[in-house]
Amino acid sequence: MECCGPGYATPAEAIKAPREKLLYTIAIYTGTGIQKPDYLATVDVDPDSPTYSQVIHRLEMPGIGDELHHMGWNACSSCFDDGSMSRKYLILPGVRSNNLHIVDTAIDPRAPRLHKVVEGAEIKSKTNLSGPHTVHCLGSEIIISMLGDAKGEAPGGYLHLNKDFEIQGRWENSMGDIKFGYDFWYQPRHNVMVSSEWAAPNTFMPGFDLEEVGHLKYGRELHFWDFEKKVPIETMYLGEDGLLPLEVKFHHDPDSTHGFCGAALSSNVIHWWKDDAGKWQWEKIIDVENEPHPDWPIPVPGVMSAILISMDDKYLYLNNWLHGDMRQYDISDPHNPVLTGQVWMGGLLGKAPEINGVKMAGGPQMFQLSLDGKRLYVTTSLFSTWDNQFYPEIREQGGVMVMMDCDPVNGGMTMNPDFIVDFGKEPNGPSRCHEARYPGGDCTSDIWL
Amino acid sequence: MIVTISNRSGATYEVDPRRSLLDSLRDQGADLPFGCKYGGCITCAAKLTAGKVDQRRQVALNNRQINDGYVILCVARPVTDITLEIGVESHTTLYRNPFRDPLKPHELKADIATPKEV
Repeated sequence: MECCGPGYATPAEAIKAPREKLLYTIAIYTGTGIQKPDYLATVDVDPDSPTYSQVIHRLEMPGIGDELHHMGWNACSSCFDDGSMSRKYLILPGVRSNNLHIVDTAIDPRAPRLHKVVEGAEIKSKTNLSGPHTVHCLGSEIIISMLGDAKGEAPGGYLHLNKDFEIQGRWENSMGDIKFGYDFWYQPRHNVMVSSEWAAPNTFMPGFDLEEVGHLKYGRELHFWDFEKKVPIETMYLGEDGLLPLEVKFHHDPDSTHGFCGAALSSNVIHWWKDDAGKWQWEKIIDVENEPHPDWPIPVPGVMSAILISMDDKYLYLNNWLHGDMRQYDISDPHNPVLTGQVWMGGLLGKAPEINGVKMAGGPQMFQLSLDGKRLYVTTSLFSTWDNQFYPEIREQGGVMVMMDCDPVNGGMTMNPDFIVDFGKEPNGPSRCHEARYPGGDCTSDIWL
Repeated sequence: MIVTISNRSGATYEVDPRRSLLDSLRDQGADLPFGCKYGGCITCAAKLTAGKVDQRRQVALNNRQINDGYVILCVARPVTDITLEIGVESHTTLYRNPFRDPLKPHELKADIATPKEV
């Protein structure tokens, strides 16, 4: 079906889209000691270009100290039928400043420009929310999970913007008994949204005190919402199997009820689905064991801070930020994942201290897969204060972006030897790259109605 | 009140004890990192090496960090003349790998810490 809105008619159409030539990633100076604004970097990922594997443009934010983190599009395939919409603006929230930076990527995709700033102070005064995290569009509207109230206390809520980025207020009608917020994903054909739990901004922003997990200051539940009524209706208590349940993803197939969550501290993948009786079920399908360290009293968990599902719903990718490995699992049978690929980069276990001639600080953290499932771009920084705890050398060395070649037919992945972007060599000093997105939409943005 | 910044060649600033140190120092041209501006995010932490501050509004520091002298400039107000080390070079013991170096119960944040056993 040819249509006029943004995105693709189906996930299968998205897989056939032209190869990405540009990639955007945020890079931070917050917490590095360099008094410069965070910025949006454009990376050339066209192998035929003379500037392949280089940062070709930097858009600085207007202020210092935002801590750019995740980002999202103003529109995705959920607007495929709406000719009045286009995927034009990237929304870059500052987790610490609460400012939302609306960036125009359409006028010149290589050199995006700032379109508008929604001030954090206005968001706080109108909605009593702070700590912006995940951005999703809902048709022509936008919702953003906000992890705290204006004083940084949990559970926060959801900020609702219209397509002109004007604050509409709170999206949800109730937070129910939810204790914390973090990520969310929705599957409209089943009238469901799933949300996960990190912690209050006042808890996670200063850094990670492991001891606070036992004091219930970090999450261990998933929440299922009536998406149309905008209220949570069911909670899954994951317990020790689901400490810090962070990223949540449904299958891209809009008819599927299967979804996955990476529990960062437990380093488990949780799988949920709706059974034949119409009841939501969950199970643990992947369990990464903690690794003892010779000199430390507490074994080191993987810290699975992100997961990603390939556009064909066949592979699940996950990271172990502290161990240092990226993994690829075949989830054709979502109850029985099969490990099909593993690549080491950085990490605390010392298995791959150098990649393509660049000394690694940090481990695999955020990643973005090409729509065709063949190229996985991976970055190394998690969050400024957490980086400073686990990988203090990142302050001098900066973050790194690498690319892994993935085989979407037979499984398997390898480090690409020709691609590396060393953010330690940035003009203003070492910065840290985090989430990445492509102008044409990616594997973590689009939802089909 | 006088603030001396020991790692900026001993620069001194006269500040109003009713205002936050971050606001007072930035208004006078000191280049300081900051984030949330309500005492919750640790970005503006500095190390107090002499004098006293009132930082009751901060919620970012655990008791070990407080005992190590860290103060949250966006909410801290001087009670006496003080000396500070600022910026990330003062953060040597601010960040800690919790798997290598766990906190004792009395070193947790104030709301969950238990008194030190003697």
